[in-house]
Amino acid sequence: MSFLEVFQYTRQDSIIHRLDPRAKLFMAIVSAIVSLIFLEILPLVIILVILIPLLVAAKSLKRWLRSMKGLSILLAFILVFNTLLSPAPNPLNHSIALTLRLIALMTSFSLFFLTVHPDELSQALIQMRVRFEFAFAMSMAMRYVPTLAQEAYAIMDAQKARGVELDKGNPLKRIRNIVPIIVPLIIVSIRRALSIAESMESRGFGASPHRTYLNRLSFKKRDWAVVFISLLILLMTIYIRLFIPLQVWSLPF
Amino acid sequence: MIILENVHFAYDGIYTALQGVSLQIGDGERVAIMGTNGAGKTTLVKQLNGLLRPHRGRVFLDGVDTKRYSVAELAREIGLVMQNPDHQLFLDSVEKEILFGLKQLGFSSEDARVRCEKTLSNLGLEHLSERSPFTLSGGERKRVALASVLATEPRVLVLDEPTIGQDAKQKENLAQMLQDLNEKGRTVIVVTHDIEFVIENFPRTIAMANGTIVADGPTNSVLSNDDVIVRCSLTAPQLTIAARSIHSVFPEVPERLTLLSNLEGEIVRVLRGV
Repeated sequence: MSFLEVFQYTRQDSIIHRLDPRAKLFMAIVSAIVSLIFLEILPLVIILVILIPLLVAAKSLKRWLRSMKGLSILLAFILVFNTLLSPAPNPLNHSIALTLRLIALMTSFSLFFLTVHPDELSQALIQMRVRFEFAFAMSMAMRYVPTLAQEAYAIMDAQKARGVELDKGNPLKRIRNIVPIIVPLIIVSIRRALSIAESMESRGFGASPHRTYLNRLSFKKRDWAVVFISLLILLMTIYIRLFIPLQVWSLPF
Repeated sequence: MIILENVHFAYDGIYTALQGVSLQIGDGERVAIMGTNGAGKTTLVKQLNGLLRPHRGRVFLDGVDTKRYSVAELAREIGLVMQNPDHQLFLDSVEKEILFGLKQLGFSSEDARVRCEKTLSNLGLEHLSERSPFTLSGGERKRVALASVLATEPRVLVLDEPTIGQDAKQKENLAQMLQDLNEKGRTVIVVTHDIEFVIENFPRTIAMANGTIVADGPTNSVLSNDDVIVRCSLTAPQLTIAARSIHSVFPEVPERLTLLSNLEGEIVRVLRGV
């Protein structure tokens, strides 16, 4: 699961980290849209060529490379199977483009999730008029992912200690072996959710209708610049796609 | 016979939990492991059944290095009950839960049923046998988890914090069961902060701090050692404190006393002027 690392916030200081999360969200969405507009190799390479320096600016290139290495098996899989099975006239081209598109999409969002703290994200949502309860629920969900993973390991240990052999037997038996893991995991999660709710209420969650916030996000000039440039790129790509007939950008095989 | 030889362990290779633990536990012993939070007690007991493997050092069961065995194989010999019962309960009745553990270890269904009934009544759970474990109270769930392992009567029984959430009566029942198993020759190892429970039921105590063993020996001498008490952030047993103040007036009363019957005998002896 090492490729998930690229979607995990890392506490660092960089130009990208300091940008307003809303500006970064807009940037990520634009670059995702642009990656979805094209399914040719050259434009997708251009997108990556723009995104990679941004990763460098966010001091996260190494992390990204590591994740891509973790993902390489999946990417190779997509490449090979699409080439073999695709009905497109030029299957290799098509599948290279698909692979690049997946990388571009992942990179777009990883740039967002790598540099936005969950608290910042919920603050951004609140300032975008999302109700506080929903924003809070979302940041809680993100916060509890690693806890859930830890819990799953503890449960596996407890079952192994009772003599359950998790990694032995035929596939059917292995699937059945998931039951002693998944049932306690669900129960523990529900129990925890209830007790968190109770402890939140006893600490006055939702007591006052008007909340105040310690940190408020403010849009600075650089954030406007990011939004403006992103918008420009978006409009440009749409224009190119619609009105400029593109020559065939494909590999000669 | 369990032997740990200079066992080192660190979580993720970074967070040191055990640094050079060596110990020997013979068949049929009753041993308590005590120590500060984060001293490495749970990490230590997980080494016994192979859930964690030493990064350095070795663990032997009856003279064979446990790295040759899988956790499931070790589970037949060493029954470990972890702290949180919710991590192991998954079936829809208390009875099924206990039968599951027995079946995993290959008991015949008749034998399993007999053991199940006996364990349930010993732990005061017989009236709950049809209930779903998820609807029980915390203390009851804890006892179901204990029962699921106690029923298998493993050769070595390891309990991590078994007395949490149990009232005095239940603790007594548990102590009695451990006593009975011990008389059948089973080794009993307990991790706990419950000093009274240790004094009354465990002749040997291993005290831990910072991933090392601070003291290992007869319970009354380990727990009346001030240095150990401080380093393991324990509270000195009340009887030791009482014995000490009596000792300051009547020097013939030994100051290292942890059992009520011993202290009582001494006081009576002094008062009679024998």
